Amino acid sequence: MNGFEPKIVAFLCNWCSYVAADAAGVARLPQKPNVRVIRVFCSGMVDPSYVLKAFSSGADGVLIAGCHPGDCHYISGNIKAMRRAPLLKSLLNDLGVEDGRFRLEWIAASEGPRYASVIDEMIEKIRILGPFVPATSRTMKGAV
Amino acid sequence: MPKRTLAVYTATGCPACENGILDTHYQVSSLTPWVDVVFWPHLLGGEWEDLEGVDRIDLCIFAGALAGEADREAAARLREKSEVMIACGACAAFGGLPGLINLRPESTGKAAETGDLEGCPPLPAVTRPVAGLPGACTVDYVIPGCPPPQNLLWAAIQATLCGGEAPARISFAASRLPDSLASAIAAGVLPNKGSVFGGEKGVCASCSRRKEEKKFTSFHRPYELNPDSGRCLLEQGLICQGIATREGCGGACTAVGAGCRGCFGKAENVFDAGAKMVSAISSTFDATDSRTAEGLAGQFLDPAGTFYRYTLPEQCVLMSAGTKE
Repeated sequence: MNGFEPKIVAFLCNWCSYVAADAAGVARLPQKPNVRVIRVFCSGMVDPSYVLKAFSSGADGVLIAGCHPGDCHYISGNIKAMRRAPLLKSLLNDLGVEDGRFRLEWIAASEGPRYASVIDEMIEKIRILGPFVPATSRTMKGAV
Repeated sequence: MPKRTLAVYTATGCPACENGILDTHYQVSSLTPWVDVVFWPHLLGGEWEDLEGVDRIDLCIFAGALAGEADREAAARLREKSEVMIACGACAAFGGLPGLINLRPESTGKAAETGDLEGCPPLPAVTRPVAGLPGACTVDYVIPGCPPPQNLLWAAIQATLCGGEAPARISFAASRLPDSLASAIAAGVLPNKGSVFGGEKGVCASCSRRKEEKKFTSFHRPYELNPDSGRCLLEQGLICQGIATREGCGGACTAVGAGCRGCFGKAENVFDAGAKMVSAISSTFDATDSRTAEGLAGQFLDPAGTFYRYTLPEQCVLMSAGTKE
């Protein structure tokens, strides 16, 4: 995969993970630039359709990051995100999205270094997986 | 007014859509003053050569999915001669059950191998993704459903063939159609191109079951549970896709205790039916830690085949990309 640069869409919660991303930048922590950050007010507002839309619009990976359980600014929004993730992941797997392309992480406002390492790790994993191609065109393209 | 010409054809699918047309309360015969049936192989027999003498088809009702080259060729031939083409039923409109082949395309090769052993003719190889009619040509109107309810079929036939001189009143059909469609039918003009003969909201809007607090602790397959009458099926742990599915059926399945399976395709304002169902079901898991949520999610076998049972090739945002020409 020469020259392949993964595109990651990151939905970061306003109160924790976005602040962590900000802190990581202010602290000059080295991190890869393949991320398109979308600030949302809570990880619980990230509807599964946003994730599917990101993949269908050309994202190679999607990250949802929010406050640690118990720390949600809206009490339990991150718990809603946590409940959705496993079923969404199994739907994505069925549709040909490999493990590792979709992640849900808890990153507190003070965890700038953790934000940088999660991002780097995810990008490296997706670099190995290669670009995301929707399953239909991948499996049958040769026969068309 | 000269008689209008009608063609009815089913590609890869079952004859239920055509039977639905025949079953419109014995009114098909009342179309005789308006309609000349020029091509309907399932009902009248016939060959493709019969089409050569036909200059123009006023209405073609096309049912069934496009699974092989023969189906695509049939769609192209009929489209060429047809003024108005209707995708009739879930297979033609969205790819339908045959569309699930796209999830496991390699499985058709295996089925083709074993066919001879059982004395059956081998299955034709699927060389391209299975598509609905919109995957191959322009579709003027859509009648969703598996099979489409008779009232919607009748409304579509009257809207496109009878020009307002309807042989029977169709208020029963128009009552569940969006205003623009219903008034077009009443006025005897063609509805806007691309109209769907169905409702706009979700099936929940026409389901009379009581919706209360939803909390799931476990899920049931339909045979495991005799649902309480009058209570939302989703609340009782049955998978019901009414929330993501277009109405128009009047909640026929939910009324008798069977969860909606989504044969009308997604509702107007739903981005993707699978995502909507994941959201609807899992937001209400009775879980406060990720292990419990994973356990509940693990009870769902085949989420893609369930949530996109009828719509995978045309409406799933991740699987539909490859079906277009």
